[in-house]
Amino acid sequence: MEVVIASSPVDSGIGCWDLRSGAEQLRYRSCASPPHGLLAVARCFLASSQVRDSRAAASAPIFFWSWDKPQVEVRSFPAEPIGPLVSNSDGTYIIGGGLSGTIYLWEIASGKLLNKWHAHYRSVTCLTLSDDESLLISGSEDGCVRVWSLLMMFDDMGKMSARNLYRYSFSEHALRVTDLVSGYGLCNSIVISSSEDRTCKIWSLSEGKLLRSIMFPSIVDAIAMDRGEHAFYTGGRDGKIYIAALNAESNPNGIYGMFIIGSLYDHSKAITCLALSTDGGMLVSGSEDGTIRVWDTKSQHVTRILKHAKGPVNNVLIIRQPLRACPPALANAQASLSRKRLSLSLPPPLSKYIDSTDGEIETKAVNLLLPPWQDPEKSKYCSSNVIKKQIKELQQQSSSGAAEMESERLRLECKRSIQMAQQWKKLYQELQNLCVNELLNGVQMDDR
Amino acid sequence: MVRSKAAPKKPKRGVDFKKIKRKIGRKLPPPKNATNTQIKSKAIVLPEQSVASERVGLAVSKKGLTLRELLQQTSHHNAKIRKAALTGIKDLVLKHPSELKLHKLAIIEKLRERICDNDKVVGETLYQLLKTVIFPSSKEDITGAVISLLMAYIFNAMTHMAIDIRLMAFKFFELVVLSYPFSFMLYAEKVLDYYIDILRNNQIYLQEKNKLKNTLGGLVQCLSLLASKNEKEDRLHEENQNIVEKKRLHTFELEIYKDDAGISSIDKKLLDLVPILINCFQESTTLIRAMPIIDAQSFDCMLCTLQCINLAVKIVVHKIKKPFVSTGPFPPSLSDGPDMMRSSMFVYLKKLWEIFPVVQMHQSAEKEDDRYFTLNVGITEIFLHLSEWINDGTLATEKFLEFIENFLLGQVISSAGTHLLPKKVHVEKHLGSVLPFIPGLISQVTGSWKTSLLEGFTGAFKNCKVDSKLILAYLSALEEMLLPMENQSLLSFTFSYPDLLSYQIAWIQELPKILLQLGDKHPSVSKVVLKLILKIGQSSLPDSPLSLEYDYLQWPLREFYSTRRFSVIAGTIQYGPFTKLPNDCQEVALCCLYYFSNLSSDFLKSLTYCCLCDDLEPLILLRIIEVLHSSYKAGHVQISDQIGFLVTLVARFRVFPEIFISEGICMENEGKVSNQKTFKSVTGAVFTCLSQMGDNSLILKLLCKNIFNEISQKPPLDNIHGLLRMINVLDTRPTKLPEEDISSLSSYLSSYMVDAASYIPENVDVAVHSDGISIYQYYFQPCIFLFYRSDRLLYYILKFLDSLIIEDNMLLSSSSDVKSASEPLRRVHAVTFILIFMHNDGRLHRSLSSSEATVKCILQNICKLLGSSKFSMTLEERHRIQSLFDHLKTRVCKLHCWDVGDLEKV
Repeated sequence: MEVVIASSPVDSGIGCWDLRSGAEQLRYRSCASPPHGLLAVARCFLASSQVRDSRAAASAPIFFWSWDKPQVEVRSFPAEPIGPLVSNSDGTYIIGGGLSGTIYLWEIASGKLLNKWHAHYRSVTCLTLSDDESLLISGSEDGCVRVWSLLMMFDDMGKMSARNLYRYSFSEHALRVTDLVSGYGLCNSIVISSSEDRTCKIWSLSEGKLLRSIMFPSIVDAIAMDRGEHAFYTGGRDGKIYIAALNAESNPNGIYGMFIIGSLYDHSKAITCLALSTDGGMLVSGSEDGTIRVWDTKSQHVTRILKHAKGPVNNVLIIRQPLRACPPALANAQASLSRKRLSLSLPPPLSKYIDSTDGEIETKAVNLLLPPWQDPEKSKYCSSNVIKKQIKELQQQSSSGAAEMESERLRLECKRSIQMAQQWKKLYQELQNLCVNELLNGVQMDDR
Repeated sequence: MVRSKAAPKKPKRGVDFKKIKRKIGRKLPPPKNATNTQIKSKAIVLPEQSVASERVGLAVSKKGLTLRELLQQTSHHNAKIRKAALTGIKDLVLKHPSELKLHKLAIIEKLRERICDNDKVVGETLYQLLKTVIFPSSKEDITGAVISLLMAYIFNAMTHMAIDIRLMAFKFFELVVLSYPFSFMLYAEKVLDYYIDILRNNQIYLQEKNKLKNTLGGLVQCLSLLASKNEKEDRLHEENQNIVEKKRLHTFELEIYKDDAGISSIDKKLLDLVPILINCFQESTTLIRAMPIIDAQSFDCMLCTLQCINLAVKIVVHKIKKPFVSTGPFPPSLSDGPDMMRSSMFVYLKKLWEIFPVVQMHQSAEKEDDRYFTLNVGITEIFLHLSEWINDGTLATEKFLEFIENFLLGQVISSAGTHLLPKKVHVEKHLGSVLPFIPGLISQVTGSWKTSLLEGFTGAFKNCKVDSKLILAYLSALEEMLLPMENQSLLSFTFSYPDLLSYQIAWIQELPKILLQLGDKHPSVSKVVLKLILKIGQSSLPDSPLSLEYDYLQWPLREFYSTRRFSVIAGTIQYGPFTKLPNDCQEVALCCLYYFSNLSSDFLKSLTYCCLCDDLEPLILLRIIEVLHSSYKAGHVQISDQIGFLVTLVARFRVFPEIFISEGICMENEGKVSNQKTFKSVTGAVFTCLSQMGDNSLILKLLCKNIFNEISQKPPLDNIHGLLRMINVLDTRPTKLPEEDISSLSSYLSSYMVDAASYIPENVDVAVHSDGISIYQYYFQPCIFLFYRSDRLLYYILKFLDSLIIEDNMLLSSSSDVKSASEPLRRVHAVTFILIFMHNDGRLHRSLSSSEATVKCILQNICKLLGSSKFSMTLEERHRIQSLFDHLKTRVCKLHCWDVGDLEKV
């Protein structure tokens, strides 16, 4: 089931609707998110950074919600207010951009702050990961777009020898960067950035240079890219959604200028966020007037208007929600396992500082060796600390995960023992046959 | 013969004819009437000989020789004829350019043999021929293959025994390279060998300065080609500057630069070349020191030598540095190649170092000093390439740094001590080449030299005139030193040297001055300055000293936008260069605003004046509103300032209406295009800003105060209309305005409505939808919204209308002026109209019914007035008003469910 989730900078919770039917689902309470601050971590739970109560407030929390409860379950208090959030598709780590221009990287399983680094002069406004999740691209209020290699951030030797931490720094934007979208094609994709200087710029990650700059009739606050990199949608402050060409044919004499193919308009106030459904057939736009419009991209008409709140909407996401209500008849061992994992309590809160109490900070990534019966695609990366903890737990046989693994091990052992027993049985049988034959033969021989 | 045979046969046939006897060998006498065809002349003159007559259509030279003959003659044993042939070819080609195209290959094949010609004059002629005629006229035709034909002979000549021929060969080579730069790379290595060879020969530069100069000139040419190639490669890597308007997003690069493997061997050659050149230079200096004055030729020679060394060092240094750049995050491979090159380079240059300040021994004239100075600058440039390793301790840097410092300060050291440099222009030329190295040098040197160099640089920068070409060089050097984080090469810059900050501040303070001096005459330079300011703003950390300094820029920058002068004519506004600069500059200037951490109200004032300038383009005006709004959202603008800005903008914007109003007003703004559309888009932008500012009721409170202030100054109707709409944007039903605001609003509103009513044409029927009506509707629309939201306001206004009519009565009774006689009529007319409009709008019905009594009162008053014969009006007028009034009556009665008769009775 694909759902639309939306949040607003004024406290009105996270709205959740079924994309196809438009039926409203659970509304998650008490959320006032900054732009790009809403996130569904690995489809397992929702996370959102929060707007500061006032300008004077030194910090703002990050909240986690599980899918089936409207209340905030986990509250974490980072060192400074966090704006944009992003996580990898496995939900191993979560990355947040701070008000001071610092980027924080936490491990979700343990809540540990693994790394933080000073990335920009001013606050980080948007974050995105490249297609293969090896590069982090950050945009800032100072108009700078920087590309970071996540591998490099954990490579102390590399950091020492390199001139600068970032891989590329694009400073062509004159004003605050409002949105960033990366294309498809591993770490050599394109990146589109929009800015308050009324332009969208398209960058190549492989060459590290500007490919195209498109001037729009108004400030663009949101971008959504077509799966085929044919065109991209931009939401303007004038309430229009413009369609700009990537690889599509464009008419230099169009009414909006070069590279802008067309526009969608439905008398709304400024568009603040956009999301495309996975099949590309539906575009969802959030607007300043508190409504969410669902567009059919083919006919370019609004098919549905969802009302979120009085205040402006500033985040919309389309997410494939995990099946929660699984009929018990279908529940095999696998499903029960995953459900159990879901129903398990959410991860611990994110820590405020880099934990240096356990002496040396070990932030080595460990590829968890999975038992062979699990899907190899689901392999997860965990930091060595987490693995150590799990091992310890396993030794003490205290935690549920450990018990689970233990039972699994026992089951396997049992299976193996049975096999062994059968083998022995067979051997005995053969031996007996042999002996009997021998005996019989011996008897015959004796008879002679 | 035939005839003679026929003759003997004839007599046999008959006797009718007389037999004629003829002697054989005699001829028939000519007939008497025959024309004499014999030609007699004293002499036969043939214009051409037989072969010549066949080439009428051919191209020939002045002397009548064809190309073929001329080419043959080029290998004649006589030097004079060879020379004549070459000049002939020149003639021919000039006269018939097509000939060259057709026989290009043949011509070149023949001419190249002359490269090794023993005769000096022939060589010179050939050189001229190639230079002036052949190369320029066939730029595209000559390909690499043709060049290689020439090259074979040139190389041959370069190894010739005779020195003259050798030198000539270098001249030819220079010519080829100049005309066809692409050809050079193929032969670079070989040619460098030959150069090394000839320069080793000590005898030449001692004797033939002139020729040596030519050779060195060629070498300079070659080396600069090599250097520029390196630069081009670099530029290819960072081609972000020219924004691409490519049609396709992903394209292959058309230009593929071949990776030349041979280039490393060229570097070795260059390394060999450097000591020879240095040697050459050294000997020249010793020679000069001996001489009383330096003559022009040897000076030129030395300068050329220095240029060669400079270029060679530049290329090699580039190569040494390169691996650091390209390998990126990984540590540079520890191959000893670059290191070796570096150390050997230092060994060679040490010799040059020892010569360094080339100083005249004796007292000298000014011109002499100039020359020495030029030479010293040349040497300085060479060492600046190596400034990165200047602290190695291999070189004694004091005198070098001292020279640069003096140079920056505009002084020169000579035998007579230090004095000011003679020619300003002369210095500027050299300064341009030195400036790019200054930031690197400053970051490298230690101790007090840092301060003195910074001092020198700052002084020179402050003295620089804004219209000189040097300003760009200064600015780029500034950028490098102000934004060390951007240029990672100087990462340690700020941290290692705290005093730098004071200089940085001094530089920043200088920027607005430059901007003002530039005016609108040099938009490209202005743009560079603005971009630099923007970069400073972007990269200053909040609350750091630099960002403070950036905030202070607001004061001087006010003048850039506009200032209000309190002169004799009170409050004329002086527009700064901003309004006159091209769009892209304005755009950059606007972006700078966003990064001020606190925009002062003074600065906003100046910006507002600027916004109200009639010349400003609508697009830029909208951008200003947008940027300020973003700035407000980021907390850089006070809320009251922002509201003040928006209100002032709407209230003071000069609207030039379209033609519809009246002839009289139209005359006033003759030549001005109507900007009503702009005003509409401006107000639209203002409304969106207002709605996004935060808590509406709070904003409304602040807004009203400002708006009433502005309305009380009686701005034009269009502006009031805009202001009223601003209230409407924020207000809701029922109104959030407090009581006292409503009462003051009502007084403004009433006068507004009456003023607007003047646009109603007098003789218009209400039912018909005409121009005049729609204009009034446009002005009346915001009032309806206000009434809709506040019954109280409506009540006040109705009261006012009532009083208006009564007042008229009073006035009328006192004065019986003819002119004012029509006035009350108009008023009655207006009031009727306004009431009709109110009743037309469905939304107001509920509100109107609540103040039923007042409406009734008004109607009665009008009725009374019309009934009385106190003021005269024509029958026609009376009829019109009466019909209007009847229209109104039916409306009102329908709404309030009165009987029409009821009203009449009262």
